[in-house]
Amino acid sequence: MSKTSKLLIKRIISSLFITFLIITFVFFLIRISPGDPSQKFVSPSLSPGLAEQVKDNLKLNEPLHLQYFGFLKSALQGDLGISYNYRRDVVSVIMDYLPFTILFIGVSFVIQICVSIFLAVKAVKKVNGILDKTLSSLTLFFYAAPVFVTGIFLLLIFSEMLNLFPSSGLKSYDFENLNFFEKIIDYANHLILPVITLSLAEVALFYKYLRDNLEDVYNKLFVLNLKAAGVSAKTILYRHVIPNAINPLITIAGIELGIMLGGTLIIEVVFGLPGMGRLTIDAILSRDYPLVIGCSLTAAVLIIAANLAADIIKVKFDKRLLTGSLE
Amino acid sequence: MKFKIKIWHLLFVIWILFLFFRFNELTDIYNLLFSWINLLNNNSDAAISQLNFDLADVFLSGLLYIIIPLLLFFLRSRINFLYDELTFASFVLTILLISFLFAPLITNRHPDFYGNIGMTKLLPPLSSVKILHFKVKKKNYNSSLSDFISLRDKVVKKPFDENIEFADSIVINKKIIFYQNEIIKEAEKDDIIFKDEEPLITTHIFLLGSDQFGRDIFTRLIYGARISLFVGIASVLISLIIGLTLGFIAGYTGGIINTVLSRITDMFLSFPIIFLVILILALFGNSLFAVIVVLGFAGWMSLFKIVKTEVLSIKNKNYFISAKMLGLRKRELLFKEILPVIIVPVVVNLIFQFANVIIAESALSYLGLGPGSNYPSWGGMIQAGQEYLSSAWWMIVVPGLTLIFTLLSANSFGISLNKKLNPQLRND
Repeated sequence: MSKTSKLLIKRIISSLFITFLIITFVFFLIRISPGDPSQKFVSPSLSPGLAEQVKDNLKLNEPLHLQYFGFLKSALQGDLGISYNYRRDVVSVIMDYLPFTILFIGVSFVIQICVSIFLAVKAVKKVNGILDKTLSSLTLFFYAAPVFVTGIFLLLIFSEMLNLFPSSGLKSYDFENLNFFEKIIDYANHLILPVITLSLAEVALFYKYLRDNLEDVYNKLFVLNLKAAGVSAKTILYRHVIPNAINPLITIAGIELGIMLGGTLIIEVVFGLPGMGRLTIDAILSRDYPLVIGCSLTAAVLIIAANLAADIIKVKFDKRLLTGSLE
Repeated sequence: MKFKIKIWHLLFVIWILFLFFRFNELTDIYNLLFSWINLLNNNSDAAISQLNFDLADVFLSGLLYIIIPLLLFFLRSRINFLYDELTFASFVLTILLISFLFAPLITNRHPDFYGNIGMTKLLPPLSSVKILHFKVKKKNYNSSLSDFISLRDKVVKKPFDENIEFADSIVINKKIIFYQNEIIKEAEKDDIIFKDEEPLITTHIFLLGSDQFGRDIFTRLIYGARISLFVGIASVLISLIIGLTLGFIAGYTGGIINTVLSRITDMFLSFPIIFLVILILALFGNSLFAVIVVLGFAGWMSLFKIVKTEVLSIKNKNYFISAKMLGLRKRELLFKEILPVIIVPVVVNLIFQFANVIIAESALSYLGLGPGSNYPSWGGMIQAGQEYLSSAWWMIVVPGLTLIFTLLSANSFGISLNKKLNPQLRND
């Protein structure tokens, strides 16, 4: 067995364990909290017997450990229960909302990486130049600003004052009458502001790391050596400097994906978008227990997958990690 | 030599400004304090029953107005930061700290004060309204209490006041006619307070506009600073205690405890913590106390990591081993041998943690899961403003910019403190 796959298997096992811990934590947290989800279906003052019947149906009267083992058993078979709000399978509800969030985060992530690499490379060309200085103060600004404030400011400027983009939702009211290309343009129109909002803070963070790394690598002796050997500036940049500087960025990107998931939570509320974030908040606020657990499971799996992917890519870039000499 | 503005200059200017613009309020506060102390001597039960948070708040700000300058003056040789150059960050943080301590002095109204909603709602910044003052109807108390209560009603601001009326314009004939948004109202001359033969008419300027209930945004901003700062400091302290204890235990004992704690920390770090915070607050109910505790528990991970790594490296150093051999207890080891070494990274981390808590608190308030509607908070103001995005931009821009400037200042303060205290970063 190769060392890469060994590392991978070790990672997967520990990730599964962490997922299990998170789910257990959330499960018991919900069950010990005050409040009764059966009240949504039937008022207890109406008929106590009926309320008990609903509780029995939802298996809320069983002892806690039996509920937990029953839940684990069905979860292993891919059944997360029925959502109280939607009266549908939790997995199918999540499948309705998940694609949007993945698309949203994915698009924003690609933009973040491209923009931050582009800006950092431009800035490092002239350290302490005008571009470098403006960018470093701008990134500080956007790094500090909370996402929901940036989002609302963008809404105020571009949606209210300039009237360029719609202010909320994902579809226009005449969406059904549009042809295929117009539909895509409509989606894009609605998504531009949220994507910018999500990207700004992350671009600021990535840019800062990448710029400092690039500067460090440029000052290393091997770059001087390459210059002395007459290698062109472009080759030095793309073949030698960027691959060396990008490594820490991958780790951060893996971690940041989790934070981005938290960010989408609020951005989806600000812009009224139908994604996992709003689904989660609605589920929490309406005590839809199976859906809450489903959402946290999804979030955990997404984050762990992202971290795993970051680890694999990092190993591809830096073979020293395999021998453990850097740990 | 170039003259540089230092922090104590700002403090001095603010002190003078208070003296200049709030002289009457200050004397009222001291009068009230003396009459309360008199009351305490004569009728201590009544005095204590009168003491609520608002009154104590006013007393404290009045006392601190004298005590703090004296303390700063006598300890000026000890407190180095007074002589630091005034930067944008230290300016904003000083102003915030002063709003935290002197909120009742800075604004002379209650944060929830509203008059005629139809007239004062959604006013743009710098708009003003006239105020007619009606005579106070005397209530019957026994004599020593009545002086105190009438003085207290003058000093402690309430969310409502039946003795004033807002007016757009006022005409004085036999009767007094005033206009409220095209509604004409009349009042008898006898009911109105006269000053120098003229009816007493004051104007109130809404410096930063008013919100959908006609409340003054500037006032709410000042009191909101209080909540943000209080939540930030309190939950950072909780994180500090948890992170320090767990980090010390993990680093000192090592082995299986270290592994387990580190795994748990990794788990919390990889999961978006705001999700758990929302979950807990939504399930168990949100209050000021709950927000502080939950955010405190949500932020110990980075501190834990710093403390753990430092303790692991200190553990094998000779001075630590000899201190242990001398028989110091664990607590003494922590406070005497470890804390002085790790104080710099811990303090810098605490400042960034403070910024994070303020972000989290405002985001929670925005989602309606903050400290509650009893307290004005910046996030809650932004949430209310989003509904009026098209008609009242100031409802969003004012608290939003305040939030951003606060966070910027906290961040750059952390960075500059790190540079100042960390000798490795100093010599560039």
